[in-house]
Amino acid sequence: MKKKEIISRSIRRSGHPAARLITLRQVISGIVFIGFVLLFLGGEKLSVFLAAILPPFQLMPALIRSITQPAALFIAGLMFIILITLIFGRVYCSFLCPLGTLQDIVTVLARRTGRKPAYAFSRPQNILRYTVLALTVAALFTGILWLANLLDPYSFTGRIFSHFFQPLLVWSYNLGIILLRPLNIFLYPKQTASIPLPDMAIAAFFLLTILYLSVKYGRLYCNTLCPAGAFLGLLSHVSIFRLALSKERCSKCNRCESVCKAGCINPQTASIDMSRCVGCCNCLDACSMSAINYRLAWRRTKSTSWSPARRGFIFGSFAVAGTLLAVFHRDIRNVAGIVLASSDPPVTPPGSLNVERFSQTCTACCLCVTACPTSVLTPSFLDYGPVGLLQPKMNYEKSYCDYECNVCGKVCPTGAISRITLADKKLTQIGEAKLRKDICVVYVNHNNCGACGEVCPTHAIRFTDRENILYPEIDKQYCIGCGACQLACPTTPRSIVVHPHPVHKKADKYIAPKPTADSKKPSDKDFPF
Amino acid sequence: MTTSDKFSRREVLSKGLTLGLMAGGILILGKPDFLIARDRPSAIPDLVAVRNGEPDVMFKKAVELMGGMNLFVRKGQTVAVKPNIGFPRVPEVGATTNPLLVKSIVESCYAAGAKRVYVFDNVVTATSGNTRNCYRLSGIEQAAKAAHGIVVPMDDFSYRKVTIPGGKTLKTVEVHKLILDSDVFINVPVLKHHSSTHLSIAMKNLMGIVKNRMEYHLTGLDQCIADFCLYRKPDLNVVDAYRVLMSNGPAGPSNPQYANVQMKKTLLMSKDIVAVDAAAAKIFGKEPEDIGYIQIAHRQKTGNMNLKELKIVTFTM
Repeated sequence: MKKKEIISRSIRRSGHPAARLITLRQVISGIVFIGFVLLFLGGEKLSVFLAAILPPFQLMPALIRSITQPAALFIAGLMFIILITLIFGRVYCSFLCPLGTLQDIVTVLARRTGRKPAYAFSRPQNILRYTVLALTVAALFTGILWLANLLDPYSFTGRIFSHFFQPLLVWSYNLGIILLRPLNIFLYPKQTASIPLPDMAIAAFFLLTILYLSVKYGRLYCNTLCPAGAFLGLLSHVSIFRLALSKERCSKCNRCESVCKAGCINPQTASIDMSRCVGCCNCLDACSMSAINYRLAWRRTKSTSWSPARRGFIFGSFAVAGTLLAVFHRDIRNVAGIVLASSDPPVTPPGSLNVERFSQTCTACCLCVTACPTSVLTPSFLDYGPVGLLQPKMNYEKSYCDYECNVCGKVCPTGAISRITLADKKLTQIGEAKLRKDICVVYVNHNNCGACGEVCPTHAIRFTDRENILYPEIDKQYCIGCGACQLACPTTPRSIVVHPHPVHKKADKYIAPKPTADSKKPSDKDFPF
Repeated sequence: MTTSDKFSRREVLSKGLTLGLMAGGILILGKPDFLIARDRPSAIPDLVAVRNGEPDVMFKKAVELMGGMNLFVRKGQTVAVKPNIGFPRVPEVGATTNPLLVKSIVESCYAAGAKRVYVFDNVVTATSGNTRNCYRLSGIEQAAKAAHGIVVPMDDFSYRKVTIPGGKTLKTVEVHKLILDSDVFINVPVLKHHSSTHLSIAMKNLMGIVKNRMEYHLTGLDQCIADFCLYRKPDLNVVDAYRVLMSNGPAGPSNPQYANVQMKKTLLMSKDIVAVDAAAAKIFGKEPEDIGYIQIAHRQKTGNMNLKELKIVTFTM
């Protein structure tokens, strides 16, 4: 009776440090999550702005960027993530990870609808998670990104936005436009990328599985398949601040265990597995006896197990990671990537420099897909070969690359698409249009068509007049492979198709003939009729 | 009051009866304008050409020479104004219709009593050409809105399929509902060079009201452009030849500095779409017979390209 009273009082006490910690977590993770929503769905300007702020503090982009194209902010972000983990444990998973927050939101919603899962302590799936981590890292360092692409929580969250939320938003917006038309209100319709079915299926499968697991078992994904979680788990083995469960004060009420999403508290042995704790602080608030404390490691209670084997494992992992970093060199890294790359890769966006570099740097977060104003960037499935599963490509069947746009390079977090100036983009030959005169209607039917020439932004298509019929020819030195002509071509199959350059080239600048001097003045004395 | 001014009862009765019968008869015939604003075909010029003025001033003069906007727009009617907004270009490039002209047309439609005036075009998408870019850069959105025109962006779901009577190549076509449903259709093309058809003028501008324009390209541009006019001709064509793009059309360079434009400062107006195209071709410096679709449309009796046979009123400001 007395115990129950204490418990109920403990739940209602406000202003308790633990409650404040939870509020802090909710506020920060909420802000970060809204930031991610706006990053992916907020439109071009907001995306470019937020892309400079949020991704540097995401583990995978920060890691890849720091390795491939070191930039101050990304290195700082990586150091920050490692530092806070070494100090506070895996708070990253509860404060900064958008997928973590998404799981928390869904769990809260599930609770509101009456499902009140009581989590329970579970054994750590060490073999599974460290194998996944080791494989991901090994693959990453040999130039294969598909494991990282599939499992990285940031990239996966990106795909949830690009594959589901953006199409949904655009479709509803366009539906709204149709409904407003009878009222004589006319708005500009929006575009969205077409997502290949396998990509959609993979994203849906992962999303449903993760959300089901999180509602039912808590952060199981984070402690089994998530490579970021496993990596930070390794670090938090040695974190300075740790949660400790005092055996003396514990009343074995198991309340902490039932609120622990990570399933890492075992009240029976009074142990907390910090490598799995996601730092949500729920247990601190739940414990009526104040038996759980968050404090400096050297004051930790004796009950926390200390195993020489585990320490060896930790140091071993660091040694392996260090060695890999040390031997990290383009040529070594690319071995597997080159072997497994597709022999017929698609066109890659301007700024990606070459297919190899792109497919070994992109984690398929699809931020470029949501930001691309013409939706020419669409996710691929196996176009890059097993190396670059799900990575975006230039899809010229549905759209074209806008001559006046370089947004993809401005938002790409991993540097797979580097930021190039608009002037450079206009001369970057990502592919080359080739004309098939055997099926082009002008050559076959001797009728005027000229659709390709109308839309070519670089004067790469020139017309020769023979008996008042205008025959197209390609000046390939001006072609930048934007795909406008391919989109405009009315024949099936298209008579003009962009062929990818595995290594991007530089196009010649078209110099327009100077307008004649008198062109600004009226040339005619009178009407010609 | 003198006696001569007085009406006898008989006179009043008979005159009143006659007037009443006349009014009734006119009402029954449904042509009250028979007496009031009678169309005198001989009085309306086939083509009006004005030069050496600003676009809006030239338009007002041309309308005046034509016989007034009331000839084309009546009270309570809806009007569809179709300029060329096909490309994301500033007005200085000469690839799009002059915004000042569009504004002036919208204003004069409302002045003639129009209920609603819509302004729209189907943009050529593959040239950084989302509708928003084209409408804004061309200055037409702002200009039309300033005159209370209703600016309608293009989409894929506002078209209806129609059959073209006597179409040789183009048999059916999906036309924008606004054209089909509006009472008056005013075509406001810009005269410019065109890489596929030599010139883009009034008939070519009508490709912007259909959805399956790629069918034109596929089956032969010139014939299809001419065929469409068998279905629907605009009620009035106003050709903007103020700033004429002489090469690299239809898009022209994005930087107006490199645009090869000539200040022709001319405006053409006609109900005859073939005649107006023929006159514009001459202004550009080409012969109408050399432009495929003009020749075909003339042959198909859509209009007359022989300018010598037409009543042309010219005016130099």
